[in-house]
Amino acid sequence: MPAVVSRRPSPIAWLIAPALLLFILFFVLPFAVMVAMSFFSSNPIGNPHAVVTTRHYQRFIEDNAGIFHDALWETLRIGLVTTVASLLIGYPLAHWMARMQSRLGHALALMAVITPLLTGIVVRTFAWMTILQDKGVINTTLISWGLIHKPLPLMYNEFGTVVALVHIYVPFMVLTLIGVIGRIDERFEQAARSLGAGRLRAFAEVTLPLSLPGILAGSLLVFALSISAYVTPSLMGGTNVLTLPMLIAQQVGTSFNPGFAGALGVILLAVSLVIVVAYNRILTRLSGEQGLA
Amino acid sequence: MTSATIKLDCVTKTFDGKVVAVDAVTLDIRAGEFFSLLGPSGCGKTTSLRMIAGFEMPDSGRVHVGGQDITDVPVHRRDMGMVFQSYALFPHRTVAENVAFGLRMRDVPRPEIAKRVAAALAQVALTGLEERRPGQLSGGQQQRVALARALVIEPRVLLCDEPLGALDRKLRQQMQFELKELQQRLGVTLVFVTHDQEEALAMSDRIAVMNKGRVEQVGAPTEIYERPRTRFVADFIGEINLLDDGPCPGALRPEKIRLVPVADARLEGTVETANFLGGATLYRVAAGGRTYLARETHSGERSPRAAGDAVGLAWNDTDVVPLES
Ligand SMILES: Nc1ncnc2c1ncn2[C@@H]1O[C@H](COP(=O)(O)OP(=O)(O)O)[C@@H](O)[C@H]1O
Ligand SMILES: [Mg+2]
Repeated sequence: MPAVVSRRPSPIAWLIAPALLLFILFFVLPFAVMVAMSFFSSNPIGNPHAVVTTRHYQRFIEDNAGIFHDALWETLRIGLVTTVASLLIGYPLAHWMARMQSRLGHALALMAVITPLLTGIVVRTFAWMTILQDKGVINTTLISWGLIHKPLPLMYNEFGTVVALVHIYVPFMVLTLIGVIGRIDERFEQAARSLGAGRLRAFAEVTLPLSLPGILAGSLLVFALSISAYVTPSLMGGTNVLTLPMLIAQQVGTSFNPGFAGALGVILLAVSLVIVVAYNRILTRLSGEQGLA
Repeated sequence: MTSATIKLDCVTKTFDGKVVAVDAVTLDIRAGEFFSLLGPSGCGKTTSLRMIAGFEMPDSGRVHVGGQDITDVPVHRRDMGMVFQSYALFPHRTVAENVAFGLRMRDVPRPEIAKRVAAALAQVALTGLEERRPGQLSGGQQQRVALARALVIEPRVLLCDEPLGALDRKLRQQMQFELKELQQRLGVTLVFVTHDQEEALAMSDRIAVMNKGRVEQVGAPTEIYERPRTRFVADFIGEINLLDDGPCPGALRPEKIRLVPVADARLEGTVETANFLGGATLYRVAAGGRTYLARETHSGERSPRAAGDAVGLAWNDTDVVPLES
C-alpha cells in the first residue's frame, strides 16, 4: 500500500501549482519579453523586417542627448537617499515598538504604521503636494509669519520626491525590522550591561549587529521599491526630476520605442543588482568581523 | 578575588501598580557566602535578584553592597557577574569573544585580555573551544561559558538565576558540584535563585525561603529542613506530615515516623501505597482518618510491606516541629 501512495505526486505539488503559474505568467514571462525586446530593432511579431541588434544599449551608452546617464544616476541617488532616510527613521521606531511592554500600545503603534498603506500612493503623494508646494501649508504659514518672503523650493525637486518616497516606504522598513528586532532576546543586551557596557554601548555591541539581517532586508525592499517608483517622482519632481522609470514610461507611451524601454529596464536591473550584492557583502563583512577589539 | 556583603533593606517592588512582586524584603548576605533564594515560581526571586543587579529599581528600600548604598548606581557600574536563566550568550560572537566582553568594556589591554580569557576558560574546563559559537555548544558547555564570562571580570558578587534549570538531571548534579567548588575556591559571594529545594539544600550555606514576595525564613539548609518555622516552609521543603489537630500545629518529617508492629504503635493504620525510591521506601499510610507519609531507609535487612498491610506508626514528640500559625 505505501508503495502505491508514494508513487503519486505529493499533494503539496498541486498546492504550489497556482503560485508557480502566477509567477511564470506575471514575472518570468514579462521579464523574458522585456529582455527579448531590448535586442530587437522593432517588435518582431508585428514587423517582419525586425532584426537582432544591440543598438538600444549603444544608444544608452553613447547618450547623445545627455540625459540617460543623468537619469540613471538620479534614480540611484533617490533610491539610496530614500533607503538611508527610511532606515534612520524606521529603525528607532521599530526598536521602540518591538520593545514596547504594553500590548495595547504596540497594537496602536502598529496600526499607525500600517494605516497609511491602506491609502493609495497617489493619494499620499497629493497630500504631500498640498503640504510642500509653493502655495502649500508650510510655505504659506512661513510667509504669513514673515519668516520668509519667497516660497522655499520644497517640491518639484529631488527633496520633495525623497520626502514623499520616505513617507510611503518607511512602513515597509518598520514592519521588516520589528520582526527581526522583536526576536532578539532582551537578555543579550542586559548581559552586556551587567558586563560593564552602558545602554548605548550594549545596543551597538549586541542588538545592532544581531538586527543586521533585518536592516539588510528592509533596505533592499525600500531600495527596490524607490528606484522603480513612477507616480511619486513624476508628481513630486515635476519637470526637474527624471528617473529611469519615468524615462521608460516615456519611451513606451510617447516615443513608441519598447525596444529602448526594455534596454533601460535591463540596465536599471543590472545596476541595482550590483549595488545590492555589494551592500550585502559589506553588511555581512561588518557583522562577521567583529573580533576582540 | 574580593567578595562583598549584600544587604537588602526593606526592599519593595510593585509592577503595574498592583502586582507586589517583592514585599518589604530584608536580607543580610555575608561576604563569600553561597546564598540561595528559594521559592515557587512567581514568588519574586528573579525580581529580587534583578534589583541587586540593578535591572529593576526598588519602589522603596535600599540595596547595599560591600557596605555602600548602590541603589542608584547603574547596572554597568555595579561590577557584578550575572548568569542568566537561559545563559544569554551573545550568539554572534565566539566563546572567546563572549568571555572577553567584560574585559573589553573595561579597556583592559589586549594581551591581558587574551591571558585572562584563557585562564577563565581553563577554570571551567573549556580550553580548546575558544572559536566555537554558542550555538555549537551543548547545554552544559554554554552554562560554563556563561560562568566564565561572568567570573572573568572578577566580580565582588556573582548572581545566578536558575542557572541549572535547563540541564538534565545527571549534568545538573555534576554542575552543582562544580559551581559549589568554584565558588569556594574563588571565595565570591554568590546569590543563587532556584525553585528546586533539593538543589538549594545541597549547595547553599544559607537559604532564604520566599513566598508571595516575602521572605518566610532564612537559615542554613539543616535548619530550614529540620526546624521550618512556618507551614509554608515545612510544606515546600521535602515531604512533610502537617499535624493540625491539637492545640498548636506541628510538622513531622516522614523519616521520623517509624513503622512498628501494631502492638507497639501510637497509631494503627493500613498501607495505601509503597513507593520504592532506591535507597528508601516512601509509604502512604491511612491512619486516624488521614494519610501519613513515612519513609523507611533500607539499611540492613528490608521488611517490605505492601498496599493493604496493617502497620503501626510511632514517633517521638521531640521530632514534631511546632509551626507559627
Ligand atoms: N516586568 C514585569 N512586569 C510585570 N510583572 C512582573 C514583571 N516581572 C515580574 N512580574 C511579576 O512579579 C511576580 C514575581 O515574579 P518573579 O520575580 O519573576 O518570580 P520568580 O522568579 O520567583 O518566579 C510575578 O507575579 C510576576 O508575574
Ligand atoms: Mg524567575
